[in-house]
Amino acid sequence: MFEIVNRQILSEGIKRIDVQAKDIARKAKPGQFVAVCPEEGDEKIPLTIVDTDTSRGTISFIFHEKGQTTGKLGSLPINESIYSIVGPLGSPARIEKKGNVICIATGVGIAQILPIARAYSKEGSKVIGIIGAKSKRKLMLESQMRICCNKIFVATEDGSYERKGLATDIFKKIINEQEVNLVYAIGSVEMMEAVCSVTKEKKIKTFVQLNPVMVDCMGMCGSCRVKVGGEMKHACIEGPEFDGHKVDFKEFKMRTQALEELDECHSHKLQPNPQKKESGPLAKYLWGFLKD
Amino acid sequence: MKACPLGINIPGFIRYLREGSVNEAYSKIRESNCLASICGRICSAPCEKACILNKENAPINIRALERFAGDFGKDKVTRLPISKDSKKIAIIGSGPCGLYSAWALIKKGYRVTVFESLEKPGGVLRYGVPEFRIPKRVLDSDINDIKIEGLEIVPNCFFGQTLSFDDLLQNDFKAILIATGAAIPKYLDIPGVNLAGVYYGEEFLMRVNLMKSNIFSRQIPTFPLGNKIAIIGSGNTALDCARASVRLGREVTLIFRRSEDEMRVKTIERDYAKEEGIKFEPLTRPIEVLASNKNFVKGLKCVRLDYTEQDESGKWQLEEVPDSQFTIEADTIVVAVGHRPNSNIQKFYPSIELDEDGSIMVDADTGMTSLNGVFAAGNVVTNAQPLIRTLGAGKDIADKIDNYLKAQKK
Repeated sequence: MFEIVNRQILSEGIKRIDVQAKDIARKAKPGQFVAVCPEEGDEKIPLTIVDTDTSRGTISFIFHEKGQTTGKLGSLPINESIYSIVGPLGSPARIEKKGNVICIATGVGIAQILPIARAYSKEGSKVIGIIGAKSKRKLMLESQMRICCNKIFVATEDGSYERKGLATDIFKKIINEQEVNLVYAIGSVEMMEAVCSVTKEKKIKTFVQLNPVMVDCMGMCGSCRVKVGGEMKHACIEGPEFDGHKVDFKEFKMRTQALEELDECHSHKLQPNPQKKESGPLAKYLWGFLKD
Repeated sequence: MKACPLGINIPGFIRYLREGSVNEAYSKIRESNCLASICGRICSAPCEKACILNKENAPINIRALERFAGDFGKDKVTRLPISKDSKKIAIIGSGPCGLYSAWALIKKGYRVTVFESLEKPGGVLRYGVPEFRIPKRVLDSDINDIKIEGLEIVPNCFFGQTLSFDDLLQNDFKAILIATGAAIPKYLDIPGVNLAGVYYGEEFLMRVNLMKSNIFSRQIPTFPLGNKIAIIGSGNTALDCARASVRLGREVTLIFRRSEDEMRVKTIERDYAKEEGIKFEPLTRPIEVLASNKNFVKGLKCVRLDYTEQDESGKWQLEEVPDSQFTIEADTIVVAVGHRPNSNIQKFYPSIELDEDGSIMVDADTGMTSLNGVFAAGNVVTNAQPLIRTLGAGKDIADKIDNYLKAQKK
């Protein structure tokens, strides 16, 4: 039913898949996502719809092969069918013509911001893109972003490409130089928090997209609960887009990071990584003596 | 027989069973209930309370008899005579109410399509009740029978997003029934409920059910699950969570506010739970979830309660016992303190009116919501009713939709 039409490796561990899904392609709007379940009995993965093709009836999404299920999804070949895709879910992004718009994203967030940046530039706003990644190898969708943004800044943490540093550093610089009407931030929690703290001072409207853990993605389980403006909200129904100034980042960080840490522990336990053995404490101790 | 909302001919099928003809007994039940083996497992059995043998000794165990007939009886299931020109009805949600009303409507000769948002039909029966209470095999065979009789089920279709009312109207659907149930958890308001490692009952059961559950005791859980689980609540959901986690090999404590006799479950289920080694902490109220240094759950701070006095309605009031705070060691907490109706549909169609508690308002006589031709039934209207009542509601709404469509013809 949901046949894979195309599959691409974008960068280290990041893949793009095009899937035949007529009904979803017809209805999808920028900012919405789908819940993908690669095989029967797997958990569902919420993935943002990056691109839709209504004439062919396909949708495409980009994901990072992090855990077990995403690994399974990434290993499916072309012409294989995905067990279930539900969508489009979530509320679409609020897009209107707004002078200067900054779209800032890091890591896999670039895939999520691409449809939004496209929609804003289509509406006629001037889009300034800021994308960041750890290194050049992990940067993705740069050319696509270049096409849809009026101006683009790229930052890598290790300086292997363009500017060295964090995306937020560039953001702070730009926001002091130019007049900005709206900021859209997607990426790591720290980045979004930093962006929101800057824009809160300047009173610039900021939207963020949160990606909490989801189970059924239909507002039934309460796993994706986020505190926004003192109220508990379901990110899968009322989100994933929220007003950045109202999100309780402290609580959100607490939940997502603790789970991520545990995920890492689990995956290490399941697949022991044959890494280089580091010298033991005794050797280190003796080496210290020799040095002196 | 009057006590059963579905009107199953109870003396009739028991007579067949006494004669040893199981198949006839099953077809007798199937005249008025298409989910016999499921009701035989998790029905709250109002018929047993009304049994006339109650006065003398113990009631007949009708539930178990129904289960036997449902499991071992075979009925010839054939495609019902549904003409291609009959009116089309759309049902949203394939839970118990949706399935039952769909079945009742295809028996009346309508063309019915059920839209389900998850990948398989069954709703709460599949995703909210663990494998050991309703085996998936039983559910599949029951749903398959209804499918053979002519029901169409469309999975992976989230109503409001994948599909809209306009799409349905364009496709000539004459009536729409909302039967989305009540599966949204009520939130608990104590400090620390947003820590990692705190789950809500529905989420927990869904995760357990989504794991390949027929072999789940051997499967590594796909979500962080500690070894000591504390479960807050005393309803069926809480007990299901507790018993499911015992089957995952965990140590389970059940914490609830009232005493054991006041639990809203069947006594026999409570006894099963005790037998399985679940620790009960009655008359306890949780105050705070304690966090470890990594933002995980470390424990649960509780306080003991005691009965003080009766209020006007005769309910006993509970009050905290002074200096009775204690901590329960737990690394996972499951909160199962109640449900809210799943009226998310209203977010896409704001013209549907809701009550204060979030349930959809319906006209008492016609069962219609504030939109013309759109009906609602089941737990999305009544909130947190037992299974048999929602099936009864499904039966009622089928009659009402039938009346509505017949009146429309004239």
